[in-house]
Amino acid sequence: MSAFKRKRGGQAPGNKKAKKAKFVADTSEAPKENEQEKTHEITVPAPVSQGKWKNKERVLIFSSRGINYRTRHMMQDLRTMMPHSKADTKMDRKDKLFVVNEVCEIKNCNKCIFFEAKKKQDLYMWVANSPHGPSAKFLVQNIHTLAELKMTGNCLKGSRPLLSFDPKFDSEPHFAVLKELFTQTFSTPRYHPKSQPFVDHVFTFTINDDRIWFRNYQIMEEDAALVEIGPRFVLNLIKVFQGSFGGPTLFENPNFTSPNMHRRQIRLAAAARVREKQMVKELQKLKRAGTKEDVTIDVTADVFLTPADETPVLIQTEAPEPKVVKKNKHKAFKRQRMARK
Amino acid sequence: MIIDSSTMESEDEESLLGQESEDENSELSDSELQEAFAKGWLKPGMNVLVDKTKKHVNNVEGLKQCLAGFRKDLPWAERLDMTNLPAEDVIYKAEGKKPAVKIGDVNPDDDFQREMFFYRQAQATVLDALPLLSKHGIPTKRPDDYFAEMAKSDQQMQKIRKKLISKHLILEKSEKAKKLREQRKFGKKVQVEVIQKRHKEKRDMMTSVKKFQKGMTDKLDFLDGDQKKPREPSQAQNKVAKDNKKGPNAKRKYKDQRFGFGGKKKGKKWNTKESHNDVSGFRAKVANAKGAKKGAKGGKQNKRPGKSVRKKTKSRS
Repeated sequence: MSAFKRKRGGQAPGNKKAKKAKFVADTSEAPKENEQEKTHEITVPAPVSQGKWKNKERVLIFSSRGINYRTRHMMQDLRTMMPHSKADTKMDRKDKLFVVNEVCEIKNCNKCIFFEAKKKQDLYMWVANSPHGPSAKFLVQNIHTLAELKMTGNCLKGSRPLLSFDPKFDSEPHFAVLKELFTQTFSTPRYHPKSQPFVDHVFTFTINDDRIWFRNYQIMEEDAALVEIGPRFVLNLIKVFQGSFGGPTLFENPNFTSPNMHRRQIRLAAAARVREKQMVKELQKLKRAGTKEDVTIDVTADVFLTPADETPVLIQTEAPEPKVVKKNKHKAFKRQRMARK
Repeated sequence: MIIDSSTMESEDEESLLGQESEDENSELSDSELQEAFAKGWLKPGMNVLVDKTKKHVNNVEGLKQCLAGFRKDLPWAERLDMTNLPAEDVIYKAEGKKPAVKIGDVNPDDDFQREMFFYRQAQATVLDALPLLSKHGIPTKRPDDYFAEMAKSDQQMQKIRKKLISKHLILEKSEKAKKLREQRKFGKKVQVEVIQKRHKEKRDMMTSVKKFQKGMTDKLDFLDGDQKKPREPSQAQNKVAKDNKKGPNAKRKYKDQRFGFGGKKKGKKWNTKESHNDVSGFRAKVANAKGAKKGAKGGKQNKRPGKSVRKKTKSRS
C-alpha cells in the first residue's frame, strides 16, 4: 500500500489502493463491479466508501516485548478486525509508560490498545484515549484467536461491527466510562477508506463474574443466526485512570487479585495442607509413643504363688548306700535250665 | 500503622501501662512508645497492631466528569452500539422450563450456559439493530457477486470445513459400527434359533420314522409335513384304542425316549474287560503310518540340520 498524503477535508480516494486493480473506480460507483469480474481475472476491489469520512478515529495497537505467540496472533486479529487501526513496533520495557502517549502522537492516533506481558505469563491490556482522556488497565485471560478451527464464522475484512453491551454497563459510573471508551475504540468510523460498507458482524461485551467477556459473531441470516468468528478474550478490570497511561486513579477494582498473589495463594494453600498433614502425623506418632510403658515388673507375677509349709533343709554329707540288686544276672537261660534238668 | 486499643477486664488493668511487651512487635522502640503515650495516642488496655483496611478508589464524581469530558456525541450510524438483555431462550420456552437467569449472573463455570447467554445477547442486538440499519441506509447483506477480502483466508476456511467434515464422518462411522454390532448380535440370535428349530424338526422326523419302522405307528402322517388331520369321524375308535394304550404307554414312551432305538446310551463308555479286549477300533494303517503327511509342505521348513552339518557351517561362518 503506497503511502500518500491524506487531504484534509476528508476526500476518500481509497479506490486507488485496489490490489491488482486495472482501473480507478470513482467514488460514485456502486460497490458492485460485475463487468470487470467477468472480463479480467477476479480482482479484489478496494473497499469503496460513498461519503465523507468525518469521524477521525485512529487506534494504535501494539505491544511490549516478551509477548507469546497467542498474544501476537490476537493482536494481529484485532488489527484485521479494526480497519481504523495502526500497528507499531514493540516497545522496549525500559521506557516508561507515558512514552506511549508520544508514540501515539507521532502516529497521529487518538486511541491506543497496548499489550503488556509480564513474566511471559500474564498479559495486561491498556485501552486509552491518547492525549488527555481516561485509560483503563485490564488483565487478559482465556485468549482464543481467529485461527482456531472451532471458530467457523468469517466476515469481510474491514466491515463495520455492531457493538452489543450488557445492561450492567449502565449501572455503575466506571462501567459507563468503559462503555464509552470501548464504543469509541472498537467501532469503525463510517466511510473510513479501508472499511467495507456492510455490517456483518457483532462484538459482544458482557459483564459476568466481575469480568468483561468479549465475543465476535458473524451475522449469517436476517433472523439473527450467528456463528462465532473470534477472537475471544476475558478482561479483568484493574484500574481506571483519569489521564492516558497515568494520572490519578478514578476507580480501583476491589475484587482484583494480581496473578502473582493468586499463584501465591494457591501455593500457600498447598503448603498449608501439607503442613497440616505432617502435624497430624506427628501428633499420631506422639500419641502412640506416649502410651507405651516399659513393663519391667509384672504385676500379676505372684498371682499363682501359694505359700507352702517350710520343710527342714537336709544336707547329705555321706553318700547313700548302694542298692541291693535282686536280679541274678548269672542265671542261665530257661532252655538251658530245662536241658540240664 | 494504626494502634487499636480494646478494653480489658479490671484484673489486668494494673499490669498495663500502655507499653507493649518485648515479644510483641519489635518495630516500635520504647522511646517512640513513650512519646506516643505522652501525646495521648496510647490508651490503657491491650494495644494491638491492626492492618488498615485498604480503601479502593471509587471516585464517582471524577468518573462522571471524565465521562462528560471525553464522550463524543456521534450519531448512532457512526457508533452502531446497542445495549440489551439477551433474547428469549427459545429452547427453554419449548421445553416449558423457566429461563435459568432473568437478570442475575449466569454461572461463569457452566460453559454452555454462559456462551448461550452471550449468543442470545448478540441475537437480541441484531434483531433490534436490523430495522435501524435499514432506516439509516446501511446495508447488511452482501450481494452475491461482491468479491472482497475476508478476515479469514480461503485456506483457513477450507481447513475448518475439512475438520467439520471429518468430525461428521467419525460420528457416522461410530454410528454404523454400533448398528452393525447390534445387528450381528440379533442376527446371531436368530440364526441360533433357526438352527435349533431345524434340528428339532429333524429329530422329530427321525423318531417318527423309527417308530414306524418298529411298528409302533402304522400311519405315515409325518411324511405329509405339519398338516393337522381332522379327527372327528374316528374319534370314538381312537378314544377306545387310546384308553387301552395310555396306561403302560406313558411309561413305555418315557423309556423309549431315554433309551429307545439303539439301546442304552448312557453307560456306553466303561473300561471293562470286554471294552479292553475289544480291538474293533484299531486301524493298522493309521497306527503304523509314522507321520506320512509331514513332507507335504517341503522338506527343509522345520528340519534342523544334523550335528556334523551344523559344525561345518559354524566353522565356516
